[in-house]
Amino acid sequence: MTRRISNFKRFVMMNPIIQFFKFIFLSIKVLLIVAGGHGGTRETGY
Amino acid sequence: MSKIVILGAGISGHVAASHLRRKLDKIHEVVVVSPNSNYQWIPSNIWVGVGRMKSKDILFPLAPLYKKKGIGFKQAKVTSFFPEGDSETEKPFVMAEYVSEEKRGETEKITYDYLINATGPKLNFEATEGLNPGTNKAYSVCTYTHADHAWQGLSALIEEMKRGKEARIVIGTGHAKATCQGAAFEYILNVEQELRRQKVRDKAKITWISNEYQLGDFGMDGMLLSYGSNIMKSHEMVEMVFEDRGIEWILGSGVNKIEDGIAHYENLDGEHKNIEFDFAMLIPSFSGHGFKAFDKSNQDITEKLFKGFMLVDSDYTPKPYEEWTVQDWPETYQNPNYKNIFAPGIAFAPPHSISKPRKSPNGTEIFPAPPRTGMPSGITAKLVADNIIDSIKQQKESLDHKGSMGNMGAACIASAGFGMTKGSGISITTFPIVPDYKKYPDTMGRKLGKTFGEIGLAGHWLKLALHYAFIYKAKMRPFWYLIPE
Repeated sequence: MTRRISNFKRFVMMNPIIQFFKFIFLSIKVLLIVAGGHGGTRETGY
Repeated sequence: MSKIVILGAGISGHVAASHLRRKLDKIHEVVVVSPNSNYQWIPSNIWVGVGRMKSKDILFPLAPLYKKKGIGFKQAKVTSFFPEGDSETEKPFVMAEYVSEEKRGETEKITYDYLINATGPKLNFEATEGLNPGTNKAYSVCTYTHADHAWQGLSALIEEMKRGKEARIVIGTGHAKATCQGAAFEYILNVEQELRRQKVRDKAKITWISNEYQLGDFGMDGMLLSYGSNIMKSHEMVEMVFEDRGIEWILGSGVNKIEDGIAHYENLDGEHKNIEFDFAMLIPSFSGHGFKAFDKSNQDITEKLFKGFMLVDSDYTPKPYEEWTVQDWPETYQNPNYKNIFAPGIAFAPPHSISKPRKSPNGTEIFPAPPRTGMPSGITAKLVADNIIDSIKQQKESLDHKGSMGNMGAACIASAGFGMTKGSGISITTFPIVPDYKKYPDTMGRKLGKTFGEIGLAGHWLKLALHYAFIYKAKMRPFWYLIPE
């Protein structure tokens, strides 16, 4: 069954104050994943 | 001195050119060959396609920037490759034909020491009969001009809807093996929000049509991701969003013909169906550019350079889906036959798809091709540039910089509606892009902490921040290189 977005969840999604902190958190998390390095896969223990 | 020629000035080509120019002495020549006079930040095309940005906001002319930075620029399209030179020219070269006003039609042999093929894909509209942007009520947002046309078409329909017209809007993929579902996903959500903003949402039926087996496949076989305190599959997340926005979906469908307001498609059950529409945005299939290559004696050696896209250090051995591994994917994007040629971004031939291949009972392959757009394009271009820089400085081949899509993270910050207070975005990160089922066997081949999704206003702000940051970076403003790809 398809999940639904609850009213509380919608409030959190669109509340500018909560979302400001989410923006900071997301920016750092995305930066860490993207700038967190990359490499090959053919050597052992990559 | 060395001469590095870069074909293409999209995300991949421009990233490679800018890093090469910054890190190499001026005695080395960096030359960009591209038929396009402008750089465009493609991810923002979807906002042009809903009238929330002008195309001038997402592009700038390349020639003045390259002149200022000491990068050569030839507005020309490459027609053939001569990696061994020819009887008259000792050095390898590419044959290019100018498309700029002042030199239109002139041809030139452009010699090189290193060649970066960053020509991206050919938007293969011809592969789907009748799919031609701006005709048959079907549009595209693949370029800024296409996006401008799409907004003209959509805004005209909105005016009709304000006068009472009931409309059907179809958005998705326009070919059985199209990729770039992410762009269509962003566009359908932005169109839905624009209709609400224009107070005509109740007049429209919006339908997603795609070659994906499940929603949220995105050409990456879907993913298991963390969402708040929950762990869910990407198809559950996208279903939740579509359900919330009142968007219907048709999956496992390969569109094969467009007539005026009608899309014909075959589905994975082998049924031939059609859907009528008043406005459609369908992503075409991507293909190679059909380049030819010749050896010193003018013999055709195209198969040594191309398999549709350019051959690189992938394992192209044909094998069944069950035997695919991340090790099949390239690490250095170097052509195996000509070691001074590289193909980052979309220009390289993938070893196989990422999504599971599926066929209809009629034998039609219906599944997404693998995506290599955006972030992977930038990362692979930078590592190719770094390997060339090291090779020039050390005066011997150096391939220390590696970046397999099986050991690389990507962020997809998908706009779900424009607006500083009413906007929304769906932020999804994935690590790795190509699932590694051996390393992460219990989480669908992905590392769960680095594969997550978030929905909300912050996603829109982040996408907008990335728009300004990456245009700043592309313009090579002070400290541009500190912004990661």
